[in-house]
Amino acid sequence: MENKSDHHSQNEYIEVWEDLVHIKDLILSLIICTVTTLGAYLLAPNDPPKPLIFGLIGAVIGFVVSSIIIKPKRNFRYLEGEEE
Amino acid sequence: MMDMVLIAEMIGASVIGAILYTIIGIAPGTDETAVLAPVTLVLVLSGFEPIVILAFFISAIVAKKLTDSIPVAIAGIPGGVMSAPMVEHAMILKKHGMPELSIRKMASGSVIGTIIAVPMSLLLANLIAPLSGYITEYASQIFLGGAIFLALMTKNRWVALLSILPFAFLIQGLRIFYWEAEIVPADQTVFTSFFLGITIGPVILKLAELLSGKVRKNMPRYGMKDIALKRTPKTKGFPNPFKILTKKEIGTTSLSSVLGVLTFFMSPVGMTIFLGETLTSRIKDPVKKAARAISSMDGLTNAAYISGTLIPLIAIGLPLSPTAIGPGGALFNAPPVFTEENNLHHLLSMTDFIVATVIGSVIAIAITFYITMKYAQEICAFVFRFIPHEAMLGLFFGLVMMLAFMDAGIINIAGVLIVAIVAGLLHRKGVNYGVQFMTLYAAPWLVSLFI
Repeated sequence: MENKSDHHSQNEYIEVWEDLVHIKDLILSLIICTVTTLGAYLLAPNDPPKPLIFGLIGAVIGFVVSSIIIKPKRNFRYLEGEEE
Repeated sequence: MMDMVLIAEMIGASVIGAILYTIIGIAPGTDETAVLAPVTLVLVLSGFEPIVILAFFISAIVAKKLTDSIPVAIAGIPGGVMSAPMVEHAMILKKHGMPELSIRKMASGSVIGTIIAVPMSLLLANLIAPLSGYITEYASQIFLGGAIFLALMTKNRWVALLSILPFAFLIQGLRIFYWEAEIVPADQTVFTSFFLGITIGPVILKLAELLSGKVRKNMPRYGMKDIALKRTPKTKGFPNPFKILTKKEIGTTSLSSVLGVLTFFMSPVGMTIFLGETLTSRIKDPVKKAARAISSMDGLTNAAYISGTLIPLIAIGLPLSPTAIGPGGALFNAPPVFTEENNLHHLLSMTDFIVATVIGSVIAIAITFYITMKYAQEICAFVFRFIPHEAMLGLFFGLVMMLAFMDAGIINIAGVLIVAIVAGLLHRKGVNYGVQFMTLYAAPWLVSLFI
């Protein structure tokens, strides 16, 4: 399928683990998530289970940030007029 | 006797577990261990009542297993490692324009798997309990036997068989190095992060290859993935899994669920692939074959997960199954709260186990099965539109890095990367997760035979 609106040129995506990614976006996301997760883990008070909880929260933050700045590489649409 | 407050807490925990893991289950590529183990660990360490944690955990696995097949059916993207074997069959149904049917069949298979697994696990656990001393003694040998058996079942059986010993040496070699270098105390064994390293192996290998420009140039490139869904009418009332499946499908699903319980100590992924293919190999019609395969595979994964958690917990108190040692690891060992001498096995009575399991599984089925049947499309649409695959990989990668660091500090990040790259290579050569996990469990004993 053609996609003219996307800022990446066509056929730039590779498949990793059953879905398509853009290499630069992937590296960006790996860095963001690793920094937020490990960062939160290390910054947490050294009093178990706090580091783990902080780390999990960090992971979620990294995930949300990545989701906001990276666009999914999927064209999603509903097929209309084919209701049973 | 149990009081009402505790029961209310169990119900609350089960509802939260079901909702949370309904969402997580749909997200593509979420590994069971990676999403269940850390959260359970946090709950255990936070000091919740053991019985409440068990209810939460059971609800979470049932919900996760119900929903992780949804993206498979709709887009051929596995929602978890366990649903990967179903992709092929789901794609056949999708090609014939029946992704909705896929979801219904899979979810119904899950429900049957759960219904069979809960009582059977409780029963089997009671039968095994007297043997627990014996089993504990020969656990390593059982795991090695499992690795050899699964290796012989794969297509590349000689490569798989040959990989067992070197892979065990790699894992145990790293552990011995950590002990010698005093990175890890002698009474502590690095496990979780190696387990995750194996799971994330194929991805890490791919990422490592991206570092080479030559490989990068030759990789197949794609445009945007096009996903189109037909709008389907809403079903009225509460769906009945026994009406969605045909009699034959119920039969095969029940059979595979029973086998899933009996082989609770084997790798669920390996058993799913093996039994799913075996039980359907004689059906000619591709649509019927695919429907039978996905319903029975889903029943089996559910049954294997529940039995793999419950039987070792109730009967033995040691994590003697891949599910117990992976996603359920925190129920057995989460110092200082749970240890091998003081965990759910020792703290809960048989009644406690039954109550927690029934509450957890009934709530998860009620909430998740209902949501799955009614809103599968809407949830998928949301995930496909707004959740980039990069973020999923990033989340997982981040968690693995954290757990690697937690297990043995900064050096273990390198250790986990090595395990992951080797595991990824083996995986590509046809050595499946099952063989690798079994090897991981058998490694300490296997290597001790040589040194």
